[in-house]
This record gives sequence, structure tokens and C-alpha cells, in this order.
Amino acid sequence: MATEKSDVVVLGGSAAGLTAAITAHRQYPEKSVVIIRKEAKVLIPCGIPYIFGTVGTPEKNLVSDAVLDKNKIKLIVSEAEKIDTENKTVKLAGGDEVVYEKLIVATGSLPAMPPIPGFDKENVWAIHKDVEFLRGIQNKLKDVKNLVIVGGGFIGIEFADECKKAGVENVTIVEFLPHCLMLAFDEEFAVEAEKIMTERGIKLMTGVKVQEFAGDKKVTSVKLGNGEELKADAVIMGIGAVANVKMAKKSGLKLGPTGAIAVNRYLAASDPDVFACGDCAEKISFFGGRPSPLKLASIATSEARIAGANLFGLRRENIGTIGVWGTAIGDFALSCAGLTESMAKQAGYDFVIGEAEGPNRHPGTMPGAKNIKVKLTFERRTGVLLGAQMMGGSVVGELINVMSACIQKKMTIDDIAVFQIGTHPALTASPIAYQVVNAAEMAFMKTKK
Amino acid sequence: MAKILIIDDDPDLIDTYLIILTNNGYEVSSALNGEEGLVKIKNDKPDLVVLDVMMNTDYEGFDVARKIREDMKLLKLPIIMLSGIHEVKKVRYRFAPDETYLPVDIWLDKPIEPDVFLEIIRTTLSDMPQQTG
Repeated sequence: MATEKSDVVVLGGSAAGLTAAITAHRQYPEKSVVIIRKEAKVLIPCGIPYIFGTVGTPEKNLVSDAVLDKNKIKLIVSEAEKIDTENKTVKLAGGDEVVYEKLIVATGSLPAMPPIPGFDKENVWAIHKDVEFLRGIQNKLKDVKNLVIVGGGFIGIEFADECKKAGVENVTIVEFLPHCLMLAFDEEFAVEAEKIMTERGIKLMTGVKVQEFAGDKKVTSVKLGNGEELKADAVIMGIGAVANVKMAKKSGLKLGPTGAIAVNRYLAASDPDVFACGDCAEKISFFGGRPSPLKLASIATSEARIAGANLFGLRRENIGTIGVWGTAIGDFALSCAGLTESMAKQAGYDFVIGEAEGPNRHPGTMPGAKNIKVKLTFERRTGVLLGAQMMGGSVVGELINVMSACIQKKMTIDDIAVFQIGTHPALTASPIAYQVVNAAEMAFMKTKK
Repeated sequence: MAKILIIDDDPDLIDTYLIILTNNGYEVSSALNGEEGLVKIKNDKPDLVVLDVMMNTDYEGFDVARKIREDMKLLKLPIIMLSGIHEVKKVRYRFAPDETYLPVDIWLDKPIEPDVFLEIIRTTLSDMPQQTG
């Protein structure tokens, strides 16, 4: 049994773990940093659906380990079995130990499996972040003619589009809600996304529940709540993820209301020398502070930059999860940040909406012009921005990050209406019709009603 | 006094929960399988149900949860699913509360520390709207 020592030990080497380790090195360059992860190779989590079509193989969707050397981070590939918080030691599979001064737990999440009758049949897949597993699925997909995807959220639609690209003949998404993407977008955005998906040959069954996966040993069909039965050679589950806390729980770390590791606003866990970040850690909403179930790599890395900075002195604070997403279906992009109109309504806000639409070049006859629609939600009395939704050209994937910054800094209708923007005919919308600014102006008019 | 029904096929475990919960002021009843549990829900009208998964069949608890919500229409009866299925079956995925496909309020993996279990029971019951009459 070997014992190693490191000032900082990070458990997990994906988005949160790697970012936390890099942050720890940048903030405390005199401290030694070790990452312990069980995977020899780490997948880029958001890139997983693209393995099946655009990217081609799991090997083309890996996080490079070169960043470890560059940041003087030592890597140990092994499974952490238990944290002995009293002796500040991580026990590894095989008996070795690593002694830490400060520990960051970033063990991520595991795919959620809905216990629909027949879920344990062959070819019913919950997607694991594992190179071998994904390679196996990719090989099996070559023989799949009828694929059913359960869940019409981001994961579901991305898998559907990529599997279609990979040559699967019939791809059907089954979504219980009235439309796909409804947990992130208002209906008009979801409907547009559905139109594009349908045009690309994806069949959508919305507002219906899966009743059973039928078949002998292997799935052969999916029975739906409306009495229909879909042929299925394989099923992919796209209904979300659950915090991976087995080791944390075994080690006595407190869990929070959603079953993830309980943390405070500094990302400190229940032990004074342990922090947690990413999918394995509890989250609170930026809007009202209630527990948030959101799990995104971008949230994980933001938290990792907080946890890594706070190890030896509290420097950064977690303001809660805004929820910023983007996706693309072909060359049609959608993005959102914060609260949609329906979420604002449900949360009890008195709000106004501002919308604007137009080409992202000026004039609109310029090459590469695409239409962009922007919808902003503001709190009526204060004018503070609560949320933004966008769709159209791929620029909305970046523009939403600007809007997220506006939400984070609680900017108002007037702040956004007088944005000092840079525009160019070949690059942006017209300064007269700049969608974000105009949407704020439209919202202003509604505050006067 | 809040009434708690424990549905679990392990009598030793039921005894343990019974001691912990009665010592903390709860009225506890139990059932050793889903069928018996559903009858007790109808007759005893518990304020909260602690439900195991692997009983007569590997997934019995999932069916019981669905029956409570869909057949008995008890949409607000808190259900805490307490199971060792992840560990027993060594699965790489996780079951979790899901309004559509796993209609329970909380998932807990066995084993669970008594003080954590009690705190979750307390919080779950206090989150429920107060009943009158």
C-alpha cells in the first residue's frame, strides 16, 4: 500500500474536476494538485450525442490531458472508494491512499433510468459517459432501423438528430409534455424547433407517456399511453441525470434536498476541508434560492471556479444557477437563459415581455443572413431582466451568454435599451434593428400600459 | 401525531424503523408487500409512506407507487422510496423521482443513518399542506 500526499486532491476529472484543479493551481500556485479519476480517458460531456453522427467516434470527443501538465496537475487513474475526513485521506481501490489538505469532490452524475416496465430489456440504453460503452452502442446502432428516444429535452433531440445522421432510418422521440424542449423554452420556440426536427425526418410523439418496453429478452416495441405501439430495435433514455454521491454518502458527507452533496454558497461541504462542485453538488436557483435540479457542464465549471478559489480562503461566492442553454438542429439554433414567460408566471412574477425579430446582417440581403428572434422577460416594477430566449442563426449560441451576464448583473430594460453595441453589415444586425435592444424597447412600452 | 406506513419485505428493517419512528412521536404501521401496503393505505390513511422496491418481485415498489398515484389518485400522499436496488443490482444508472415515470417524492438508498432518515421524514411532512378535519 502506497501513501501519497498532495495539498489539493480533486476527485473526478470531467468538466468540474478538471476546472477545479486548474483553478486551484491558478489561485494557489504554490500548492500541489492531484486529480484522481477512474476513467483512463475523459469524454467531453456535451459532445456525447455528436459521437454518433457529426464527430464520428468517442475518441474524437475527448478532453486532452495536455492541460494537466501545463497546469502542473498530477493525475492518478484509480477509483476513490472512501474519504476518511478525520485523517484527511482518500482511500483508493487497490489499497493506496492519498492524504490531502483540501479536497474537492467532483464525481459528476449518473444517467437517470425511468422504471418503465421492461426498462431492463436488452437495447434499452441509459447513456453512460464511458468510451467503451459508447463505442458498443455505436456498433449496435449499425443494425438499428427503428430507434425510440424517451424524452424530448436537449439530450433527446440531439441524440435524435445525430442518430438520424448516422443512418438510423426511423427515429421517434416520445415526450410526455405537449412539446419538446418545454422545460427550457416557451411554446412558440418549442414549436419552431419541432418543425425543424420534423423536416429533418424525426418523428415526434408528444403529450404521450411510455407505458411499456415490450419484447422477449430484447426490446422490440414501445407501447404508449394512447394505445399506439412503436416498433423499436433500440431505445435511448434522455430524461436526465442523478448526482453520483455513493462515495460521498459512504464517507459521511451530508446530502441535500435533491440528494446531491450539500454545499454552502462557497461550495464548502459538511466537512470543513471538503468542497464539492458540479453535477454531484446541490444547487440553488438564482431566482429565489430554492433547490435547483439543473445539471449542465457550464454550471459545473462555474462552480469549479468558485470551489477551487475558496480552498484556502473564501474568495468567490455562488450566486445560484441561472440556467443557460443552447442547442442546434442543423443550422437552426436555440438558446435561453434564466426564466421563460411560463416560468416567470409560475414563479409568481409580475412581468413584461419584449420581442424583436430580424436578420442578423444588414441589409438582410448580405451573405450569411439568418433570421433571429429574441424574447426577453423583465420584472415589471424594477425592469430587471429575468430571462432571454433566442432562436435562428447560430450567433444566438453566443449572444445568450451576453444576456446571461445581464441577468447575473440584474440589468434593467433601460440598461439594455441603451447598450453601446458594435455593428457591421457582414457581422451583425443593423444598429437600428438590433434585436436585443429592440426587444428591451418593446418591453418598455408595455410597462407604460 | 403523523401516521407513517412502512412497506418493506424485511421484518427486521421494519422493526428498526418502527423503534426509531415511534420513539420520535410517530404512529407507525407496516406491510410486508405491495398488496398489503395498498390495503393499509386505503384503510389507515397514512400521512406518509416509506416504500421499498424489491419485494415479491424485483420492481414491486415501482408498481405500488404508480398504483398509489394513478389508481388511488393519491397525488399528494408523500412517498419516500427507500431501496437498496442500485447496490444489489450493481446498475450504472440511477432511479430518481420523476413526475411521469417514478411518481415518488424522495429516493433514498439503503442503508440510511437514523438521524438523516428522521430529518427527511420531518422535512417531508412539514412541506405538506396542513390537513384539517
